[in-house]
Amino acid sequence: MSRLAIALSLASAGLLLGGCAAAPANGTDATVSSVSIDNCGTTFSVDAAPERVITIKSTSTEMLLALGLGDRIIGTGFQDGPLPEEWADSDIPVLSEMVPGQEAVLEEEPDFVYAGWESNFSAEGAGERSELQDLGVDTYVSPAACKEAAYKPAKLDFDEIFDEITEIAMIFETDPSELIEAQKETVAGIEPDDRGLTALWYSSGTDTPYVGAGTGAPELVLETLGLKNIAGGIDDTWSPFAWEAVVDANPDVIVLVDASWNTAESKIALLESNPATKNLDAVKNSRYLFIPFAAGEAGVRTAPAAADLAAQLSALSF
Amino acid sequence: MRRGAVAWGIALGAVLVASITLAVTIGPAEIRFDEVWASILSHLGLGASPLTELRDGIVWELRMPRVLTAAAVGAGLALSGAVMQALTRNPLADPYLLGLSSGASLGAVSVILLGAALLLPLAAFLGALLALGATLLLASALGRITPTRTVLAGLAVSSLASAITSFVIFWTVTGDSYREILSWLLGSLAGARWPAVAIAGIALVVVGIPIMFTGRLLDSFAFGDTSAAALGVNVQGTRWALLAGTALLTGAMVSVSGSIGFVGLILPHAVRLLVGPGHRALLPLSALVGAIFLVWADTLARTLFDPRELPVGIVTALIGAPVFALLLARRRADA
Repeated sequence: MSRLAIALSLASAGLLLGGCAAAPANGTDATVSSVSIDNCGTTFSVDAAPERVITIKSTSTEMLLALGLGDRIIGTGFQDGPLPEEWADSDIPVLSEMVPGQEAVLEEEPDFVYAGWESNFSAEGAGERSELQDLGVDTYVSPAACKEAAYKPAKLDFDEIFDEITEIAMIFETDPSELIEAQKETVAGIEPDDRGLTALWYSSGTDTPYVGAGTGAPELVLETLGLKNIAGGIDDTWSPFAWEAVVDANPDVIVLVDASWNTAESKIALLESNPATKNLDAVKNSRYLFIPFAAGEAGVRTAPAAADLAAQLSALSF
Repeated sequence: MRRGAVAWGIALGAVLVASITLAVTIGPAEIRFDEVWASILSHLGLGASPLTELRDGIVWELRMPRVLTAAAVGAGLALSGAVMQALTRNPLADPYLLGLSSGASLGAVSVILLGAALLLPLAAFLGALLALGATLLLASALGRITPTRTVLAGLAVSSLASAITSFVIFWTVTGDSYREILSWLLGSLAGARWPAVAIAGIALVVVGIPIMFTGRLLDSFAFGDTSAAALGVNVQGTRWALLAGTALLTGAMVSVSGSIGFVGLILPHAVRLLVGPGHRALLPLSALVGAIFLVWADTLARTLFDPRELPVGIVTALIGAPVFALLLARRRADA
């Protein structure tokens, strides 16, 4: 919230507006406003809403679609999985299955590149942020994924996600209130489970499980569901974990992240075949919750995903 | 001298047994020493386990095979290093230098990414053997096979194999599964279960133990190919056979642990400090010290940042590189 307040200024009027709700007036062409943004330590000012956007990773693509800005996307790269049903028929060109290279990005002549991870902007990836900026291309990273100490969220909450929605809406001169209201409604509709259950958020990995830890979207979703994360003590968003610690904690439920390259079925097969994990309560009783990979990262799908998991959870009996 | 080596052998054997006994009782899950050993004994048919099925699984399905794999891999790598140093008369030689580990890695990563994980040990064997063949072919193409030529050829082969491995990973890995590959390339025992114990153990017994008894042969190499031939050794035949043996041993170890560095390089040097350069003592003692070293390196890897895990190759490099620098400094002082 505060970061946004600092970032937001209406230069023409010389006004400093101090709140998230104060999005620029929608559709008024009279705005000669310039919005200055401090995003993970990269600052830039936007004089006009971007028209040619490249999105990298699913969270950025879905953010723009949710704000009704799908027509601004000229290409996507490194999508984590298929779009949710509601946008399934949107016809967005795919630049690259993986992170597109610098030249592939510039060739499309974008005016804005919106990425899900900071690491997407590198010389080997879409290009360094400063270099893109020098070429007149503004860049933006989902603030939940900022890694700099001063910008990294101490612990993700829904306000952080709503802030991103507000900031993006401000850059694109649109009104975020409808989307945020819908998200808040979704979150409010989730009844936290009161059975005192523990959970493992199993993202990937076989020899060393890679799990949702204490400060990112997995922790936020688990807390919203009323589940205690067995890896919640680790001060990170996701983290490598040890099977021994999993077996020791014996979680009541296991959230399985489903990705095309690492399916939920393959995780179940592994859990059931590993002699140490096959006796876990959750494995013996098939107490699994399923979430698509793309919905597991902080973004507009976090709230609906939490609602979906809540429904799955309430269907489990103990 | 000989009696000293035997005494060292008994002492190090005892340290290894004590290390394994202790290491299985250490881990993120807090299980008491006596409970751990009651559980292990119950699996050996003595008494009943005091632990729940799950905690029993921690001891018998996770820790025990992992510690035993660490011991076997450490022994195999240190032994391979000692043999290669003798055969190439190069104190910097080890399975990495001659490209065997890179070749084994390439074979293993390829089959993992093709989804044929069952072929993993076989592919690692073949990768190590192919790399060895390529190294020796290249070295002989340069003229008579000399230690320097072998090492240079090994460097070329190892660079090529690493580049192809990186290329394969770069093109096929999606999402965040690169973490798995990365920890594999750095060397990790996190996935070691009983099948890994079987692979590493059988390789150690079938290939490693016969190699341990070639000390007298290797001693004759120490004074050069000509003097070895003068002692009646079939120089080329012996060298090829022993190199093929180390390739098999390295391939088996890399297939269960990934490329763990420095074990093959530094531990034979450490043993030379104890018992001198004679290979009859050096080979078995290197295997013992390698086993002890890797058991503890892996215990550090799984407990230092508990409940997170560190690839054990990072630990061996962090310990191994300074020790190696010390060894180099000492060699300089000797000279």
